[in-house]
Amino acid sequence: MLRIYVWLYVAFLYAPIAIITLFSFHSSPALTFPFEGVSLRWYAKIFSDATFMASLWNSVIVGASTALVTTILGSLTALGLARLKGRIQTLFGLLAFGPVALPGLFLGIALVMLFSQIGLQRSLVTIIIAHVLFTLPFFIEAVRSRIEYFDLSLEEAARDLGATPLQTFRLVTLPIIGPTIGGAAILSFALSFDEFIITVFVSGNDTTLPLTIWSMMRRAVSPDINAASVISLGLSIGLILIGGLLVWYQRRLALSARAKDMEA
Amino acid sequence: MMKGRRREAMGLALVAPSFLFLLVFFIVPAVLLFVCSFWMAQAFKLIPAFTFDNYSRALSASGFYLLTWNALKNGLCTAVLTVGLSFPAAYFIVYRTRGNLLFYLILVSWFSSYLVRIYAWRVILGSNGLINTTLMQLGLISQPLEVLLFSPFATILTLTHIMLPFALLLLVSALRDVKKEYVEAARDLGASNTEVLTRVILPMCYKGLVGAFMFTFVISAGDFVTPQLLGGRDGMTTGILIANQFRTAGNWPFGAAMAFLLLAAFLIVYLGFVRLLDLLRLAPGRRFHD
Repeated sequence: MLRIYVWLYVAFLYAPIAIITLFSFHSSPALTFPFEGVSLRWYAKIFSDATFMASLWNSVIVGASTALVTTILGSLTALGLARLKGRIQTLFGLLAFGPVALPGLFLGIALVMLFSQIGLQRSLVTIIIAHVLFTLPFFIEAVRSRIEYFDLSLEEAARDLGATPLQTFRLVTLPIIGPTIGGAAILSFALSFDEFIITVFVSGNDTTLPLTIWSMMRRAVSPDINAASVISLGLSIGLILIGGLLVWYQRRLALSARAKDMEA
Repeated sequence: MMKGRRREAMGLALVAPSFLFLLVFFIVPAVLLFVCSFWMAQAFKLIPAFTFDNYSRALSASGFYLLTWNALKNGLCTAVLTVGLSFPAAYFIVYRTRGNLLFYLILVSWFSSYLVRIYAWRVILGSNGLINTTLMQLGLISQPLEVLLFSPFATILTLTHIMLPFALLLLVSALRDVKKEYVEAARDLGASNTEVLTRVILPMCYKGLVGAFMFTFVISAGDFVTPQLLGGRDGMTTGILIANQFRTAGNWPFGAAMAFLLLAAFLIVYLGFVRLLDLLRLAPGRRFHD
């Protein structure tokens, strides 16, 4: 019984996505069955649309920059939290989670207020700032559980054996937490790539992909939105799958290496 | 002792960059927004002042209560549906499966863009949409059902669809803390299935339950995109009103005041929900506290 229910739950989650994907290959503009034929015309149309391509590129730039900044800030934070105890750790944990506990609307209007008061022009930079604020809590949360198991005495052992702090980080810390950080960086990229609610408020003339899809939705319903949606879906889901596989593969490598050590 | 103190100083130095970032781009803007809610706007210019006019203007308009009620209703219905639908799935994943494939399959759908999902539901529910045309082709209806789209129903359905994977993630991690042994011990001591659920499992995953409910509630009650695109005229919410103040040339201080009133309403719902769990005896007893 429960098994059937869970599969229905999964079907409910994927059905709308499947329908959009299906109609993105429809040869006629109709969004109804019966299906008349398969064609790539909507993809051809969207790929020759300069606005769409520009916003896709902007989204990649914003996503990559967000992931980079979030990864630097987030990794330092996670390593720092492992060294802190008690009240400071709890307090900072709460502060770092704050941006996600509030609706995106609130963050968007608060940031636009700040930017206008300090005279910062809205551009891709303001979008990146907003996205770092939004992705940082997820990054810290994703990395934290792994870091909590991180044994600080390993670093101390390396230092006692004469490694410099940089060597310790490169040879001891990074190999252990690296895969987790890589996975979390990809998570940040995907979250940034899809972010819309805060972006609406902090964007200037350069738009990101969700903003373009939004303005397409507000105009007449045209089937090339299906193609645009599928491209956006494919990129973020594809990336998450790659990230997941990477983490899984690294973990397997580590496990098999450990098994070999045990045999030896 | 020295080692501990050096370690702590190092820790503080490592979290400092993030702290600065959060200070400048989270705490300062939030405080600024609060301060601004007491300012005035004239000819789209902000004039620093200290007036309660924005608050009293919102609180004296009957429309504000209606729109806030719509927002809270969207949030509550979505949260109840999302947590209610996700709990059995989370239970199945934690207690009945060994691999993580199903869990990952559900999580991946979290990354199917928010806007695309709103768009997908518009295609499905619209008057030329899948449901209506199918029903008409089957001869079950002669006119498209207009109530499907542009109604609170469409908003709540879509928000539920959007929130399900993340609520499931929170519930699964909460349920993973309730070890199988506790459940088995309760069974051995003669508890029925319902008793195991209401006396053991639910109180033990209380934090995850409150977290999933409140997270879903806050995000969906504060959302302005879904009700704007799918809610129709009756689906107008405070969120849309606030967003309009900031997106078109509107009154920012008035928008800021309404945002804080909405947050206050969220706080009341939170307290109410915690009280309700308490009354239903689903909150953990003293012995479960750390």
